[in-house]
Amino acid sequence: MTDATIASRATLRRALGLRTVVTTSTGLAFAALEYLAAAGLVAYVSGDSAFIPIIVAGILALVAYGFFGELNGMFPTAAAIRLYMKRSMDDRAALVITFTYMTTIILVIASDAFIVGSALAHAFGEPAWVASLWIIGLLAVAVVTNLRGISVAGLLQDVATSVVVLATLAIGVLALVRSGHGLHTPFQPLHGHGPGDLFEAVALGVFLYSAFEWVTTSAEEVRKPESISRGMLIAVGILCVVCSVAAVAMSHTLTHNELTSAYPQLYLGIAAIGHSGLWVMAGVTAVTALNTFNGGFITASRFIYGTAREGSLPRQLAHLNDRAVPWVPVVTLGALSAIVALLVALTHAWQVLVATGAALEAMIYGVAGFCALRLRKRQPDTPRPFRVRGLSVLGPIGVVLFGLLAVTASVSVQTRFNPAPLIIILVVGALSAFYVLRVLPGIREREAARRAARPRRRPGR
Amino acid sequence: MASTEELVEAYAEWRTRSNANPRLTKMLKGWDRVIHFTTTDTAQGYTMRVEGQQLSELAVGHEGQPDVVVTGSSEDFCDMYWGDLNPSEKYMSGEITLAGSQQDVMRIDAISMVAFLDT
Repeated sequence: MTDATIASRATLRRALGLRTVVTTSTGLAFAALEYLAAAGLVAYVSGDSAFIPIIVAGILALVAYGFFGELNGMFPTAAAIRLYMKRSMDDRAALVITFTYMTTIILVIASDAFIVGSALAHAFGEPAWVASLWIIGLLAVAVVTNLRGISVAGLLQDVATSVVVLATLAIGVLALVRSGHGLHTPFQPLHGHGPGDLFEAVALGVFLYSAFEWVTTSAEEVRKPESISRGMLIAVGILCVVCSVAAVAMSHTLTHNELTSAYPQLYLGIAAIGHSGLWVMAGVTAVTALNTFNGGFITASRFIYGTAREGSLPRQLAHLNDRAVPWVPVVTLGALSAIVALLVALTHAWQVLVATGAALEAMIYGVAGFCALRLRKRQPDTPRPFRVRGLSVLGPIGVVLFGLLAVTASVSVQTRFNPAPLIIILVVGALSAFYVLRVLPGIREREAARRAARPRRRPGR
Repeated sequence: MASTEELVEAYAEWRTRSNANPRLTKMLKGWDRVIHFTTTDTAQGYTMRVEGQQLSELAVGHEGQPDVVVTGSSEDFCDMYWGDLNPSEKYMSGEITLAGSQQDVMRIDAISMVAFLDT
């Protein structure tokens, strides 16, 4: 970004401050799926030691924060992922990885719809099939509000995330206090478990922080460019504390059936303050959807729109409605999320969703490390307001570790070997590769021909 | 490099097209904004206002507090105003940069796209 643009941010009439960056980063990570991931992680470690893999994952999240901080500093724009990947590797590989990664957004939206729908159905004492109606209703509301260009304002974002974080923290602490007995083996995660289980727990732990980096797409909206890096750092700290408390509280107070249900947070609420806790956490779960749907739909639809305008996706995906909303991506995202959510409701395979998301996020963190390393060599002179110290060592370690975490998460569901997440990722990757290698060249050729046939309007050129 | 006169002429053409496009004016409903353009090669500033669903004349120099700041070369701006350039391509390649909310950035691109029926 030029000095001119950076200087002019300070004069923007509307700009995001650090507080909203923190709440956005935290809120994007803290989807309803967070509770299931925390509950799922508990199965891999002994007793009440779930906070250990979460802290370890937090350290790894800091490594990822370093990668994204440096990359965002080089390319402080919503289009950063396209820029740094295109400049680090062959553009076709970059596109395949990006499209595969975008699946995460669909998974998160779908899982939030499923979890909120299931939680509300349970809270109202409705039969399980009613959750499907809630799912469709929630996604329909999300699609319609997005099509009307309604988005969550910064202050509402601040309030929503604060409510979710503080309520979860309070409920977790109250549940622990109310249990009346001390923690079981809080410092022995491997008691009765192998190192592989701890590694899997760390992989799920990384997922607890995932999507904090999506706040980098707001790079153009902040008053001070360094707010993005600072905000992400603070968000990682907040997530570490809240998720540790929630996971330990769940491991300490919930039964196996409650932990493996689609709404363990409701049972945590009951453990904390009785039946009213169920309603508190049902409300908190619904509020997480506000952040997820708002952030997920806007981020993904604008990315699809920009990629279509760039010519890497069909032009039809850049059609705008009368409110300047790219309606085709919004409707497509809603439909795909509904299908995935209903499939999960039918198959009860929400843990597969968690594992798939964990694998995809670990993958993209590894890719970010790779990009940061490559760009140090390819663009050594590009200004880096945020520079990772020791990247030459941290970078390769991060790439290898996140790669291993991705593989581990993709073949394990609920402590059992299950290749379903890997199969999902490979299928999506293969479809992306087919599109990029076989379909996209034709789209680009036709677009180039269309533009060549159109006469230039500028006089004298 | 495009001169100020060229830019102003190109913008006038863009403005005429945009203000005469019923779909675009509908899209700008309730969207009163101040947009600053800054050229990287000629170090010039320009101001465009959107008020009452209409684009104003292009003022030379930065006026008022901006909602969006667009930075790029004078040549790119000139081509964009004439409809010979897809600003999104330049944005996705980092040659045009923006500061402002994502929704406002979308509207700027919408103006260039819809005005030239590039959908």
